[in-house]
Amino acid sequence: MTRLRDALDDIAAEAPAVDLTRLVDAAITGRRRRRRAGWALAAAATAVVMGAASAAVVLPGQRGGEPAARPVLDLPDNRVGPLALAYMTPCDLDVVRKRFDCSMVEWRVVTSTGTTYRVPQALVRTAKERPAPMAVSRDGRMLAYYSREAQAHVVRDLVTGSETTSPVTVEEERIDIGSMLAVSDDGRHLLFDPREGSKKPGLLIDVRTGRTVPVPGTYEVVTIRDGVAELVRYRKTDLWLMPVTGGGKPVRFDGAFIMFSELAPDGRTVAAFHFPDTKKGKRPRSDLVKRRLSLLDTKTGRALRKVDIRGLPKDGSIFETTLWVNEKEVTLGFRGGKGEVATYAVDTTTGRARLLTRYPGSPRSVVLPGAAAG
Amino acid sequence: MDGDDGFREFVLARQQSLMRTAYLLTGDAYLAEDLLQSVLAKVVGQWHKLSGDGNPEAYTRRALVNQYISWKRRPRPEVLSSNVPEHGASYDEVALDRIVLRGALAKLTPKQRAVIVLRFWEDLTEAQTAEVLRCSIGNVKSQCHHALARLRSLAPELGPMLSDPEIVEVTR
Repeated sequence: MTRLRDALDDIAAEAPAVDLTRLVDAAITGRRRRRRAGWALAAAATAVVMGAASAAVVLPGQRGGEPAARPVLDLPDNRVGPLALAYMTPCDLDVVRKRFDCSMVEWRVVTSTGTTYRVPQALVRTAKERPAPMAVSRDGRMLAYYSREAQAHVVRDLVTGSETTSPVTVEEERIDIGSMLAVSDDGRHLLFDPREGSKKPGLLIDVRTGRTVPVPGTYEVVTIRDGVAELVRYRKTDLWLMPVTGGGKPVRFDGAFIMFSELAPDGRTVAAFHFPDTKKGKRPRSDLVKRRLSLLDTKTGRALRKVDIRGLPKDGSIFETTLWVNEKEVTLGFRGGKGEVATYAVDTTTGRARLLTRYPGSPRSVVLPGAAAG
Repeated sequence: MDGDDGFREFVLARQQSLMRTAYLLTGDAYLAEDLLQSVLAKVVGQWHKLSGDGNPEAYTRRALVNQYISWKRRPRPEVLSSNVPEHGASYDEVALDRIVLRGALAKLTPKQRAVIVLRFWEDLTEAQTAEVLRCSIGNVKSQCHHALARLRSLAPELGPMLSDPEIVEVTR
């Protein structure tokens, strides 16, 4: 045996021991689904030929304009690797009754290698039809959602496959319009905001100990990182870096800002968009429309500088600022003119944007890693 | 035993070997599992033919290699990670071979990497490798030659390993 063969053997031996039963079952299930889809198509074609029906046929894996790729499987119990994205499937249009049918809406996650799974255990809508949020940690490793069965939040570690159910019961009715959720990188802390922009207080939950810290309802969560929850009160605008044990005090910026990023690697700068107040019934164009990013100092509240973003597609709009890629570049979530979603890294010194990831299809209700979602 | 049982038995009997090949090709555990998943979806679709007079093992291996090459042709977007790169540490010679080789393999073209895996790990002949890659024997020889030359240039410290008489004989 050659040394090359030995070295290749050593590398091959690093392959994790696997039980392919799940993949085998998935392959068999997928083939059966494709067959059923084929039968459905054939049946639909027959119906059209006979002039008997005009109802739409929804094929598995083709909901909401997603690409008709592999069948979407349920998120398995074991490890799947970090996530790149989570999203909620859209409601179907019932053409006969002329209304939206949201009974089949579900949460799905996309791994960083591009595999999509559905997450049936995550509540999508409450009994009162309020959307229930899902959150992904900054590194994509932790997934947090609300479980109706447990009446509590659940945190899944997608790298080890372990699952933790929060010991803090949260009644489903508390999830109200615009409810938000964020999860820390270690999966230990959750921030649940029952209703965005209201006075209903939020809750910072330590899922390991069950300890909770109330958060004033006027604040919204941006992210949780390194034991600090980043909270924003939009009207003024105030930013509060609150330790997960409570404490700290907010800083006020000069002017109103929206879409805050996480704290930059320098530990004091955040990126956001200036959002001018309405004057005499007229709202000036916000910096979001102008694609002009503001850098703010969280120690002093001063606006450090503004930078015009260059290199984004003309059609479409920015919908989020999230993680810092490095000391200079911050990530933007961007939805194109046809609904496609992508992330870009923007150099905060030059404004130059470069494409990071383009996601297939045109998913709605997108949750990017590290950003509070709702 | 129905067709699904046969497919299940075939995969489970070879799961570790399939996983190792996928891992050697991709160099990443998650990608290897994804590669296997997409290949098994193809294999199950052809199972009724393969279980008759076909060669499921050869078909699966060919599908693995071709799917891997096809994946690598697509642009791969940058994926955000909060993981800090690993810092250096001391290793013994064998471990060093493995680490350096893994890094150098990652810089080969997909076809060159596939040839290295098929010829020197799967121990396929040139003809068998050509069959898997659906190319000529001459092309296998040339890919193999260029792959080894590239490995030598990327990692000169692998020189002695790649100058082994058996390897020289294989590429002659």
